[in-house]
Amino acid sequence: MQRNKSQEPVFIEDARNGAYVIDANGAKYIDCYSSASTYNLGRRNKRLIASLKQAIFETDQGNFVMISEEKALLAEKISKFVPGPLDCVLFGVTRGESMDAACKLARGATGRPGLITVDGGAYGDTGFALSLSEHPLKKDFGDLIPGIVVVPLGDHEAAEAAISHNTAAFILEPVQAEYHCRSLATDYLKHIRRLCEKTGTCLIFDESQTGFGRTGKKFAYEHHDIYPDILVVGEAITGGIFPMTAMVFTSELKQFFDIHPLIHLCTFGGHDVGCRVAAAALDEYEQIKPWQNAKVQGAKIMNELKSAMASDDRIKSLNGLGLLISLLFSSAETANRFCFLASKNGILLHKGIVDCCCVLIRPSLLITEGEVEIINQGIRATMKDL
Amino acid sequence: MDRKDLVNIHHLFGKHISHGQVRYLRSAHLNTLERKRKGVRFMDAGSGRMFYDAFTSAGCFNVGRMNESVIQALDEALDKYDMGSEGFLSVPKIKLANYLAKLAPGDLNRVILCASGGDACACAMKLARAATGRNQIITMVKAYHGHEGFSLSGNGKDYYKHLFLPLMPGFMLAPFNDLAAAQRIASTNTAAIVLEPVQGEAGIHVSTLEFIRGLRELCNKLGILLVFDEVQTGIGRTGKLWASEHYGVLPDIMFIAKSLSGGLYPNGAVIFKESGLPAEYVFKNPFFHRSLSGGSDLGCIVSIQVLDFVVNKRLWENASSMGNYFKDGLVKLWNDNPRIIKEVRGLGLMIGIEYQYEFVGALMAECLSQQGIWAAFSGNAPQVMRFQVPITATQDEIEDILEKVKRAILTLRKYLAVLIPMARIPFIRRMLDNVHMQIFTFNLVRDIEEFFTQTLNLKK
Repeated sequence: MQRNKSQEPVFIEDARNGAYVIDANGAKYIDCYSSASTYNLGRRNKRLIASLKQAIFETDQGNFVMISEEKALLAEKISKFVPGPLDCVLFGVTRGESMDAACKLARGATGRPGLITVDGGAYGDTGFALSLSEHPLKKDFGDLIPGIVVVPLGDHEAAEAAISHNTAAFILEPVQAEYHCRSLATDYLKHIRRLCEKTGTCLIFDESQTGFGRTGKKFAYEHHDIYPDILVVGEAITGGIFPMTAMVFTSELKQFFDIHPLIHLCTFGGHDVGCRVAAAALDEYEQIKPWQNAKVQGAKIMNELKSAMASDDRIKSLNGLGLLISLLFSSAETANRFCFLASKNGILLHKGIVDCCCVLIRPSLLITEGEVEIINQGIRATMKDL
Repeated sequence: MDRKDLVNIHHLFGKHISHGQVRYLRSAHLNTLERKRKGVRFMDAGSGRMFYDAFTSAGCFNVGRMNESVIQALDEALDKYDMGSEGFLSVPKIKLANYLAKLAPGDLNRVILCASGGDACACAMKLARAATGRNQIITMVKAYHGHEGFSLSGNGKDYYKHLFLPLMPGFMLAPFNDLAAAQRIASTNTAAIVLEPVQGEAGIHVSTLEFIRGLRELCNKLGILLVFDEVQTGIGRTGKLWASEHYGVLPDIMFIAKSLSGGLYPNGAVIFKESGLPAEYVFKNPFFHRSLSGGSDLGCIVSIQVLDFVVNKRLWENASSMGNYFKDGLVKLWNDNPRIIKEVRGLGLMIGIEYQYEFVGALMAECLSQQGIWAAFSGNAPQVMRFQVPITATQDEIEDILEKVKRAILTLRKYLAVLIPMARIPFIRRMLDNVHMQIFTFNLVRDIEEFFTQTLNLKK
């Protein structure tokens, strides 16, 4: 097992329910980590647990190369759920694997090698995803995927200069969760969309943290009135009850998989049990529309933090959209200390992995007003303790 | 399931996932739809026929399909757990890590939990590069470790790579079981030699003792990490708990996935020596590879039950005896059909039949499917049919499977009476071996078949 190097007593996650987590010592926390925006429908959502319990008595993983009813029905459901012309699906297990698949599809379909991304990204830990990401240990892993150009986020000229008829894909996150929730401006995204259309480049959005309502819309790209060609979604697709991610793309791009069947395989991707759970989760999302609550409750936390920041210069800046919020401190140590003290006040937080000076707040999207008040009080108390 | 529903499922799958895949499977009568899965069999929803699962998702269902004890463990776990949080500890994660450390060979006592075979391979390759500070990774010709960036860069067949170039520099291929070649390629710039002790997708090739022992010596001499991909071979498949036990050789790093999931809930792991460079690196950088859904609490509970089931029943012993029985039966068929079968090989219940002609793969899949056996030819070697039935299989079941294989070969011989003379003409041979041509032709045959079946049904 990976060792915990800190001297603090080790946190052992035990029971979990809705917005809460309880550790092995019986202490209760509001989960504001949600395993990196996985638990959008709360911990152990009752309906999802029930659907998984039922599924395991009726089916199993299935043979991954076969046609499957579960895969077919879920794919149809996803095509209806995801706004815009994104009608086709390839399933994965981790976010990174789905990003790798997206890059491969873009290269395969365009016949071009070039990949462009913006600085500060965090797409996952597998080959392509890591190559695109800003990772503190990246240099340790040797020569990664060639053909990648990183341009500064928001720089129109740099993007224009980098993109060409040799570019397969332009890859970005509409909100860079792990980099202090830096958001991309609408005019920048529209410009990138236009550049992609002009050059025949695929636009890939990674919404593994922003999707399924987290930012106050079903998907963050809806804030900007544009569509990607390929969308990567995270484990929130099953409400965090089953390891599954997906890449959703246009039917035009699907032709590549029609011509080259089984060229990209994933044993656990599109697991029949997982498909059933994901189908139940999508129904739940459609019914509850948690993005509405995310918008309302996110604004309340944001207001609290704004007033805290006004009277406290240790918070350097604030960013966020919906229930994906980030506080920036002057150092990684302060951010660490803040997370530790917040846990003493019953709030479970995690730092950003690209910008280690930021602390993220990303609770369940079903969080109630009362629970938001507890978060706000916890933050106030933690600022005092800091 | 009635025909209308079935057609609709095929339509939706084709429309939203891959029409090409539907046609590809249909061409070899492999477009079954799995319902009622149990033990070594599943039922096809369309025909209602039972099939032996000889593919088992390339070795995921070692404990049998829908193993009751595993289902029950997950059912109970769901009263308390979910996936848990990446980066946090929990009792199920700690228990599984301890269990794996106890079961893994020798001093392979450190564990990183991952989500899939590809994810685990990426983790192992990153660890090897980071720990040694070297860039080169040697994999084997026809090797298959996954489809994400690292494992794809080390894939041993161009088909999976050539449309996605450029991949990572520093990867070199060595011919399998050729120690001299590995010795020529390896140097002090090599971080790792990665291989499957029994190659799966390559067409079931078993490493020789000299090869594995020679690689170990080579690695010791040059400070290279020896990495075993036991994704398909691990957890009893080859007749030992780990394939490495056949050779008495310890790798520095091994990784597993597939059957660790019980075919029910994804999980995977990288296991490495408790001392040495990888352990030092991980101690300094515990979060060097994050796998959000890997080593989930639910996954760990499932994996613990899978390991319990295999260990308590000593299932590798069954894999060994049933494997020998199965292989002997297939060798007999080989002796009777030397013009069709080129070789039978394997270890435990990981067995392959290699045909004399590449185009036989799809045709034999069809003949087996007609007999009620679902078997797939190898991804990286279409002339090899793989048999990886659950290692819970009984002698009666293996006997039945052998009988069906025998009958399938009789059917195959009828096809080949026509095709083999044709295949002597180089132009026709090229066409026969062309997968696109096979898909086109056999789909046409399927259309004609279905037309007649429907017409007959209408008349009735």
